[in-house]
Amino acid sequence: MSHHYIQFSDVHYSYPGGGEVLKGITFRVTHGEKVALLGLNGAGKSTLLLHTNGLLMPTQGEVNVGDVPVIKKTLPLIRQTVGMVFQDSDDQLFMPTVAEDVAFGPMNMRLPKEEVDRRVRVSLAAVGAEELASRSPATLSGGEKKRAAIATVLSMEPSILVMDEPTSGLDATGQRQLVALLKRFTHTCLIATHDLAVATLLCPRSVILKEGRIVWDGRTANLINDLETLRHFGILPIDTEIGCD
Amino acid sequence: MADKLEKGINTYSASECQTASRSTAARNPVALLSVTLLYLVTLLSVPLDHLAALLWFGIYPLICSAYLGIPFSRIFVKSMAVIPFIALIGIFNPWFDRAPGIRMGGYELSHGWLTFISITVRGLYALQALLLLTSACGFIGMCRAMRRVHVPAFLTTQLEMVYRYGRLLLEELQQMRRARMARGYGRRSFSVGMWGPMIGQLFIRSIDRAQRVHQAMLCRGFRGTIPDWQQNPYRWSANDTAFTAVWILVFLLLRFLSPQLLFH
Repeated sequence: MSHHYIQFSDVHYSYPGGGEVLKGITFRVTHGEKVALLGLNGAGKSTLLLHTNGLLMPTQGEVNVGDVPVIKKTLPLIRQTVGMVFQDSDDQLFMPTVAEDVAFGPMNMRLPKEEVDRRVRVSLAAVGAEELASRSPATLSGGEKKRAAIATVLSMEPSILVMDEPTSGLDATGQRQLVALLKRFTHTCLIATHDLAVATLLCPRSVILKEGRIVWDGRTANLINDLETLRHFGILPIDTEIGCD
Repeated sequence: MADKLEKGINTYSASECQTASRSTAARNPVALLSVTLLYLVTLLSVPLDHLAALLWFGIYPLICSAYLGIPFSRIFVKSMAVIPFIALIGIFNPWFDRAPGIRMGGYELSHGWLTFISITVRGLYALQALLLLTSACGFIGMCRAMRRVHVPAFLTTQLEMVYRYGRLLLEELQQMRRARMARGYGRRSFSVGMWGPMIGQLFIRSIDRAQRVHQAMLCRGFRGTIPDWQQNPYRWSANDTAFTAVWILVFLLLRFLSPQLLFH
C-alpha cells in the first residue's frame, strides 16, 4: 500500500466561534498526482491544507495519508510524510540562518549530524539556494525566501508536498523560477492557488472549492477552456502566459 | 518613532547575522559565556562597602571590548540607558543607612551612600559584561552557548522564543504604524484614545503571527526545544583556553588581592 496519497472523507470543519468552513469535503489525491486547489478567498483552501498535516483536525469526517489516519498519535509520522509550504515564507523562516532553518526539520527527526549536513546541502541545491546557506532570512528577497522555505520542507524528504499559494508575492521572474523548480519535483502535490496559469503549468488535475464544498473536479486542461465554469466560480481565466526557464 | 522601530528591527537582524557569521573576533561563545559568568560571580561576591576593590573590575569591559573589536563607547551608551533602573535598587540606602562609611578628603560618605554607589557600579559593570557577550556572539549565540554548558534546553528555548517574539512585535508595530501614517494625512502623533485599540490590535496581530510560526515549527517536528545545529560549529581552541585562563587569573587577583596593594 502506497503512503503517498491523501484521502479526505466527508471532512467538516468549523473554527471555534465561527461558522462551518469545510462542509463535507471528499476527494483523493493519488500517488504522484499533482492537484491544484482553486477557489476564491474564504473558500476553505488553506483550512483544508492545514488538515493534511494535522494542524487542524476535522470536526467530522477523517483525513488519511496513505493508510495512516491523521490523528494525534500519528502526527510525527504524518509530518514526516507531508511537507507543508506556507503562504507567507516569513512564517516559515525563523532561525538565524537559512541553513539552520533547513536543518530544523531533520534535527527534530533526531537524524545524525552527518545526515543532517547532507540533507541541508541537497535541499539547498535542489532549490538553487546554496549561496543563501549562511544568510539571515531577514535579508532575503521574496523569491529567495520562497526557495528557502521550500528547502526547509524538502530536507525532511517528504513523500507529499502541500503548498499554500506558492507564487503569491512573487514577481513574474520569481514565479517563472518557482514554477520551473516545482515542475522538476516528482512528489505527490496538493497546491492551493488563485492563479490558473500556475495550476495549468503544474497540475494536470484541478479541484474548485466554493464556500467549503467541492464544486468542480477534473482536468485542468478542460477547465482553462471552459470560460463559463471559470466565470461561474469567480476564477480569472489565464490572460498572461507564464513560461518556464 | 519610525527610525526607532527601524533601528530596533535592524538590531535584531544584525544580531542574527552576528550569530550567522563568524566575522567578529568573537572567541568561542562558550569561552565568552564562561568568562562572563565568572566575572559576574566574582563581581557580585565583592562586599558591598569595598568600593575601591569594586572599581578595578571596570577593566574587564574596557579591555575585553578592545580585544573583541567592539567599541566600548557603544557598550557604555547602551548601559547608560539602563542605569536609572539599576540606581532604583539602592535609591533608599542613603536615607535609611546613615552610619559613617569612608572619609574622602575632608568629606565623609555615609555607609548608605557607599552601598548605593556600590550597587549602581556593580549593576553597570554586570550590564556592560552582558552587553559585550551579546554583542560578540548575538543573543541566539549566547543561548546556544548556554545550551553547551548544560543549561536546560527548555530554558534556552524560552529565551530564544522571547527574543524572536520581540522581533515579531516590532515588525507588526512597524506595519501598523505605516498603515496609520498612510491614512493620517500628515498627523504624526496618535491621540491618547487610539493607544488602547492600537495596543490591543498589536497583541492580536502578533499572537496570530506567532501562531502561524508555531504551526510551521510543528510541521517540521518541533517538540518543545529548538535543536542546536550549526553549519560551522565552533571548536574549542588553544586561544579559547588562554583567553579563559587569563581572565580567571585576573578575576581571582582582583577578588582576593587588594589591587591598591598591588599597584602601591
